[in-house]
Amino acid sequence: MTSLASGRRAWIATGLAYVALVVLLVVFLFPALWMVGLSLKTRAQIFAPEHVLLWSPTLANYAAVLARGEFLQGMASSLITATGAVLLSLLVGVPAAYGFARFSFRGDRLLFYALLLMRMLPPIAVLVPMYVLFSRIGLANTYLAVILAYTTFSLPLVVWILRDFFDGLPRELEESAWIDGASRFQTFRLVVFPLVRPGLVAVSILSLLLAWNDFLFASVLTNNATRTLPVLLAGYASGDTGVDWGPMSATGVLVVLPVIIFSFFAQRHLVTGLSAGAVKG
Amino acid sequence: MARSDTMLPSGREPKAARPAAGTTASRRLAARIDEYFGILSIAPTVVIMIGVFGAPLALSLYLSFVGWSPSQPLFAGRFIGLENYTDLLTDPAFLRSVLLTLGYTAAVVAAELALGLAIALLLNLDLRLIGLFRALLIVPMMMTPIVAALCWKLLLDPARGLINQAIGQNIVWLGQPGTALLSVGLVNVWQNAPYVAVLILAGLRSLSREPFEAARIDGANRLQVFWYVTLPMLRPFILVALLLRTIFEFRSFDNVYVLTGGGPANGTMVLSIFTYMTSFVQFDLSLGSASSWIMLGLSLAMCALFIAASPRREP
Repeated sequence: MTSLASGRRAWIATGLAYVALVVLLVVFLFPALWMVGLSLKTRAQIFAPEHVLLWSPTLANYAAVLARGEFLQGMASSLITATGAVLLSLLVGVPAAYGFARFSFRGDRLLFYALLLMRMLPPIAVLVPMYVLFSRIGLANTYLAVILAYTTFSLPLVVWILRDFFDGLPRELEESAWIDGASRFQTFRLVVFPLVRPGLVAVSILSLLLAWNDFLFASVLTNNATRTLPVLLAGYASGDTGVDWGPMSATGVLVVLPVIIFSFFAQRHLVTGLSAGAVKG
Repeated sequence: MARSDTMLPSGREPKAARPAAGTTASRRLAARIDEYFGILSIAPTVVIMIGVFGAPLALSLYLSFVGWSPSQPLFAGRFIGLENYTDLLTDPAFLRSVLLTLGYTAAVVAAELALGLAIALLLNLDLRLIGLFRALLIVPMMMTPIVAALCWKLLLDPARGLINQAIGQNIVWLGQPGTALLSVGLVNVWQNAPYVAVLILAGLRSLSREPFEAARIDGANRLQVFWYVTLPMLRPFILVALLLRTIFEFRSFDNVYVLTGGGPANGTMVLSIFTYMTSFVQFDLSLGSASSWIMLGLSLAMCALFIAASPRREP
């Protein structure tokens, strides 16, 4: 009798949980799906009430966007700056993460927290003087300027997250390699480095996403020849949006699609990355 | 390098058995590198930190104390003391922007934490398909902020947007200060509540089950378990989410820029937009630098507040 009642109550609770989850899913996914819908409509269909939910989809908007030189140039700029920032941050940050994990020297804590501040302080405050500095030394409107600007968030991520990974490795591994006569650099490259691969994947994905999604730095440090996709899209979307909603939506979908696909495959690493720095903090 | 690490016990291997590695000169270089390895590993990071962080901040601190226009040589500005700062602090538009940013940050972060906690609790249930829900609900957080803002701008369009069509109204959502601020805030909550959920869900899944079972055995109901067991154990994770979201909402820029550009009538002029407009639209980089430093000061004060409020870790 009581077990029957509690069984029914559990059943109702499960049902309510599913209802809540479905409502959340609709709220959180609908705006994105709506934009996908707009991108598959002709201009007449977009503004016709009878075509709100049912229409025969067209890929014409995508064809139009992909034929635009400015879109392809934006895609190239986004790819170059995002991968450039990740590579530079790994090249510079991985040894530093190892250094912070294994060595102590005067001011190491101070330096480590300065790195955290680099991530925490508002980017606009760094960007104003960075723009002045970069334009004086001829770096403005170059990919290098954007890549360097992106290291303000990707370098702290790399160092902070990977230091935890290096910290978790037993020192005996390195010590036995030294006894075998390996130099510290060889030990780092051949023994330690391969063991932090999961951490490398996590920080690379996270830095890549942040760089790909950036608008603020790129909007100031690029011009028409080097602007990234978010800058291009903001050009269409800020101010009056006009009536060209189809191509605009198609551009938006094309900017986000790689990120979404990527993050589904890399979800496990993403959660590691998002919470690793946070949980240990 | 011989792969001698596969032999056991590798450390006992006589040194002579190894093939000689390189010339004496290169070995001496290797020894040098070993000696300074700690410093060498960190030096490139320090160089970049100085280049993209230290030097720019020093430059903007300098610029904030001079009257300088971009057409002048870099250090030709005239020293004017605190004039840039007093200009800002006596400008009603700037003071309104400070208050707006603080209020907006507090309200948006509170909403994100409440909603994110609720989502995390739901996603922590042991249900079928829960993995799918977990994967799909993080989509807004992954979206490029500019694209998220575009989605909502089209939905909120006064004449042709779906929201007005659905409710049969003609509200100019982004054209009046009140509804514009509300809309911008809601778009940010929509995009970032999943981020809070991810952080708190990671916390929930790391908790040990024993306190929950003990509470059940002692006869606590679900609400009591949540209030007296779950919430206290989640405290560190909630604090981290609070810290991160406060810092990221305080710098809000992308969504606001696309949705309203700071308008109407400065109704959504948060500090990042104010500083951006001053520096890159009015092109007053000295005043922009002073505004930057006021933002930096506020951020540092918030960080210090959080560090003071966070519980000391056990030794």
